[in-house]
Amino acid sequence: MNASPNSHPFTTPVTGAVRIERIAFNAFRMATYSILVAATLIFGIIFVKGSETIFRREFPFINVTFLTGSPETLHVFEHDGQKHELGDKAFRAYLESHGNPQVADENYVYSAGGIFPCIVGTFFLVVGSMAIALFVGISAAVFLNEYSRGGPLVEMLRLAILNLAGVPSIVFGLFGFGLFVLFAPVFGPAPDPSHFSLSLGFTYLNFSGWGVSLLSGWFTLAFMVLPVVITASEEALKAVPKGFRDGSLALGATQWEAIRTNVLPYALPGILTSSILGIARVAGETAPIMFTAAYVVRDRLPWQVEHASEVLFQGVMALPYHIYVVSSKIPQNVYTERVQFGTAFVFLFLVLCIALSSVILRSRMRARYRW
Amino acid sequence: MQSGEQNQALSSALKGKTRLRVFGLTFDDVMRYFFGGNATVAVVVLALILIFLLKEGAGFFGQNHTNIRVYRKAGLEYVDIMRAPLEEFSSLTRSLNDVRLKRFRTLLAQGKDVAAANEALTPFDDFANAFGAAASEARGVVSDTTEVASAVKTRAQVSADREEEKAMLLHSGKAAEAAALKVDEVNYEAEIKMITGTAPVWKAASLEMQEKLGAALVVARAADWSKGDKDLAKVLEKTERFISDLPKGESRMAAWRWDEPVPFSRAVTAFLFGREWLTASFWQDWYGILPLLVGSLVVSLIAMVIAVPFAIAAAIYISEVATPGEKAVIKPYIEFISAIPSVVLGFFGVAVLGTALRSLSQVEWLHWIPGFPMTERLNALTAGCLLAFTSIPTIFSLAEDALSNVPKHFKEASFALGATRFQTLVRVLIPASLSGIISAVLLGFGRVIGETMVVLLCAGNRIAIPDFTEGLSALYQPVHTMTGIIAQEMGEVAQGSIHYRALFMVGIILFTVSLLINFLAQRVVRKYRISIG
Amino acid sequence: MIEVEHLDFFYGKAQALHGVSLKVQAKQVTAFIGPSGCGKSTLLRCFNRMNDLIEGTRIGGGSIRIQGVDIYDPSVDVIALRRQVGMVFQKSNPFPKSIYQNISYGLELQGVRDKSRLDAVVEKSLRGAALWDEVKDRLHTSALGLSGGQQQRLCIARAIAVEPAVILMDEPCSALDPIATSKVEELIQVLKKDFTIVIVTHSMQQAGRCSDRTAFFYLGKLIEMDATQKIFTKPAHQQTEDYITGRFG
Ligand SMILES: Nc1ncnc2c1ncn2[C@@H]1O[C@H](COP(=O)(O)OP(=O)(O)OP(=O)(O)O)[C@@H](O)[C@H]1O
Ligand SMILES: [Mg+2]
Repeated sequence: MNASPNSHPFTTPVTGAVRIERIAFNAFRMATYSILVAATLIFGIIFVKGSETIFRREFPFINVTFLTGSPETLHVFEHDGQKHELGDKAFRAYLESHGNPQVADENYVYSAGGIFPCIVGTFFLVVGSMAIALFVGISAAVFLNEYSRGGPLVEMLRLAILNLAGVPSIVFGLFGFGLFVLFAPVFGPAPDPSHFSLSLGFTYLNFSGWGVSLLSGWFTLAFMVLPVVITASEEALKAVPKGFRDGSLALGATQWEAIRTNVLPYALPGILTSSILGIARVAGETAPIMFTAAYVVRDRLPWQVEHASEVLFQGVMALPYHIYVVSSKIPQNVYTERVQFGTAFVFLFLVLCIALSSVILRSRMRARYRW
Repeated sequence: MQSGEQNQALSSALKGKTRLRVFGLTFDDVMRYFFGGNATVAVVVLALILIFLLKEGAGFFGQNHTNIRVYRKAGLEYVDIMRAPLEEFSSLTRSLNDVRLKRFRTLLAQGKDVAAANEALTPFDDFANAFGAAASEARGVVSDTTEVASAVKTRAQVSADREEEKAMLLHSGKAAEAAALKVDEVNYEAEIKMITGTAPVWKAASLEMQEKLGAALVVARAADWSKGDKDLAKVLEKTERFISDLPKGESRMAAWRWDEPVPFSRAVTAFLFGREWLTASFWQDWYGILPLLVGSLVVSLIAMVIAVPFAIAAAIYISEVATPGEKAVIKPYIEFISAIPSVVLGFFGVAVLGTALRSLSQVEWLHWIPGFPMTERLNALTAGCLLAFTSIPTIFSLAEDALSNVPKHFKEASFALGATRFQTLVRVLIPASLSGIISAVLLGFGRVIGETMVVLLCAGNRIAIPDFTEGLSALYQPVHTMTGIIAQEMGEVAQGSIHYRALFMVGIILFTVSLLINFLAQRVVRKYRISIG
Repeated sequence: MIEVEHLDFFYGKAQALHGVSLKVQAKQVTAFIGPSGCGKSTLLRCFNRMNDLIEGTRIGGGSIRIQGVDIYDPSVDVIALRRQVGMVFQKSNPFPKSIYQNISYGLELQGVRDKSRLDAVVEKSLRGAALWDEVKDRLHTSALGLSGGQQQRLCIARAIAVEPAVILMDEPCSALDPIATSKVEELIQVLKKDFTIVIVTHSMQQAGRCSDRTAFFYLGKLIEMDATQKIFTKPAHQQTEDYITGRFG
């Protein structure tokens, strides 16, 4: 042992074990930070490149057309010794005003205009599917947490929920296509000869499917996030103290009365904030809507329909699908890059805002509800 | 004591059927069943997924069976037996070309100019030309029979379509029109004679090929220029084997019968073990899942090899090493990553990462890494890197949970014995949470193999089993995946066609794989619970 | 009032009560004492069938009658039973609503919407629970803002608002300080004029101070039950004596 005067048995000897520990912990630290760096790089590159599309140096500082316009084909051409980059409409107007000259133009689809229809479509998809998922999911969680008493059947339910969470999203897409697009029933005045149909007396139920439509997308997405919502709801229900239930039951409340008056109201904020994560998932998924709800292009916005019922039976454009389209179906160059990064920017920004609000709200909730 | 009146009131209140009942159910019961019903949705959806995948996919095997039967009856199979040696021969010529290229390069490196190098290679070229010419006769035979066979197949298809149309007409009660529709029966036996009739011609061609090749071989072996070239020797050896194998093909042709029934199991094995996924081909479509399965596995394994060390290291760091401040920032940040939509990651791969990786691989001093520089921008590695990113949050959170769920007294006991934090970690914490970590890895794997958009955009989408003989560079080859193929082709196929059903079959395989992984993960976790308590 | 006969009670396979028989007299305070885990709470929760809510519980044999009605008879409505047999829990559990809403909750469940009647009952119950003067100015503020003792009295007020015949109290004072405890004890003395009270307690003094009869349980069995006076002075069983003199264990 070291015999220096101030040595005592509790000094830290730099032994092999300590050295190994230092090396290992530093390696862990590096690994952790490299994940963070990689993530930051991805965010950073998309935000920097995307902000070139989104922001403007002059007033109003934001590229309004990009956020409120529809996708158009971009025409790049030279005329009068000047280089022009114009969207479809502007291009035709330009030609008109210059006496229809012959110009050699390169054109790139979807690379001009904006992405408003996609934002709207994604909004519609999210609202509808979350409404369905929350309704079913909260009810299921109430059953599992409040009514069920265990047993093999409940075990099976829980197993099913776990497994449902693991099903790949593309399989949900296939399922949604098979069930909702091709098979789901619609009411009709007459039986449809090419599909199975049921007579209900006053009307017919034709199993001809809902087609590529909002409705198909809603259900497909709703079933996909169902496990997320159920888990979130169960957690929130568990956080409500047992005393609230016992208290109301002891006063002669039926179980439903106890749940309605003294459980759900206190669980609901928790359920909603945790379900925001589900919203991020619904908004972000592409595969399930590819064949069930999304169109590559659609001129009309969802509310531009003749009959109200058509709202549900129309496909929409959606941000994630649009990103897929612009990043795989058009070439990569300076002209197309703008719409690509711009769309990715908007989409990522929206999704991250949703996720962030969930994180913040949740920590706020934890601080507020302490009983 | 209480008065009798009160007594009565109480007991009647207890007995009182105060609540409204419908069909013997109180409102409370109704709510209970309502909630229970909603809870079963999960089971119902799972069942519906299976049912509808099967509904659309199950017809595949029948159609594939017909597909393979026509392949045999129309003689395509026969032609393919003939063609097989020619394809092998083509690969021999390609290796011969490689040998020449290598020699050419060495000659240049020795200071010769191009003309001189070509000059020096003249004897080799003579040999190569003779070698290549040996197959010309056989090629002619194959291309003739190919035309015949595909004509037969076309006719078979037309008559099958007519048949279907007729059945439809009959079904909708239009008997007269149905009768008017003429269906030409294909007389396979007669047609096939035209193909099998070429056997003697083929035999002659094949003999000629054997002779010519044999002669070329003798020349090459005897010549000076072939001495000491290992690559060439290998090619020559292969050629020798090729020559001796040629008659085998002939005997297979002789044994081939057009009317030999195709067992139904062939339709299944052709799917499960088929090495080719070939659609919309003029000759013969194949729906073999192997290239897609292997593609999915390669990409997923790359992703896991990257993700697992990082995610677990981060989990350990956060649960054991990090300061509370670090923890409060890093944990949500990593979980935040899981909110990045996969299509955005895919786009990032297309727009940034693919190019970046390839430029990196072209950097001179990295050339020692096998397979560098990469030829393709979008390949298994690009997709794998991004997929790693999608699975890191999953593995991280689950592993972190597992680590922090280890009872505190385990850790304290270890510290009390004077162990360092690292020793405690390795000896106590990791063993105690191992099954949790394993199941985290499994679930991460499940996420990766089911991920669609990243692979669709970044994996390169070439339907071929990577050439693993090339070692590590197999990882930089473009692949296609099970999820990717569904996403890519589903929009283009005709409903009810064999291709459409094949895609649903791929979906069924994916579904099964995901259930299996989930099942394993749960098994692992359950076992662990028992071992701890 | 309450007659228990040869009651066996099971949590799944584990038997918590073994052939318990006892009678609870109306308008008296009956105390249940005994070491932890001996089944006091279990028996208490049988009286208003709160045990029904726990998975796997069942009555193995015997019966419980309240005013001659077998409360486990299928014809008995549990909800009606619980309105007649109120309960106050060990941990005070006011709802996170206003004080007023806490009291009116039980009546609203019964469909009472009449504001003036609710007001009257709220006042009466709070006075009954000796809480009125402390909270009358903040009836509409959150009940969670009350002190622990006030919260427990609020729970008692909540229980008496629905005018049950019986009030069950499971260690109502175990989480309270001595002053709050004595207030609750005083309250019990007042309440027994109108209600039949069964109280579980770990405090010998409390049982001695406020109960008329005391039952001593041990390992799921009723060892003896008698006037409190007698139990504390001349217990018939050695075990009882050991327990109340603190020589137990
Ligand atoms: N929900 C339950 N599930 C299973 N067993 C239980 C449950 N509640 C109580 N028990 C068991 O029943 C027995 C009696 O429990 P009980 O709660 O009635 O005791 P107690 O006398 O009230 O004790 P304490 O004074 O600690 O409150 C105990 O052995 C306990 O372990
Ligand atoms: Mg107790």
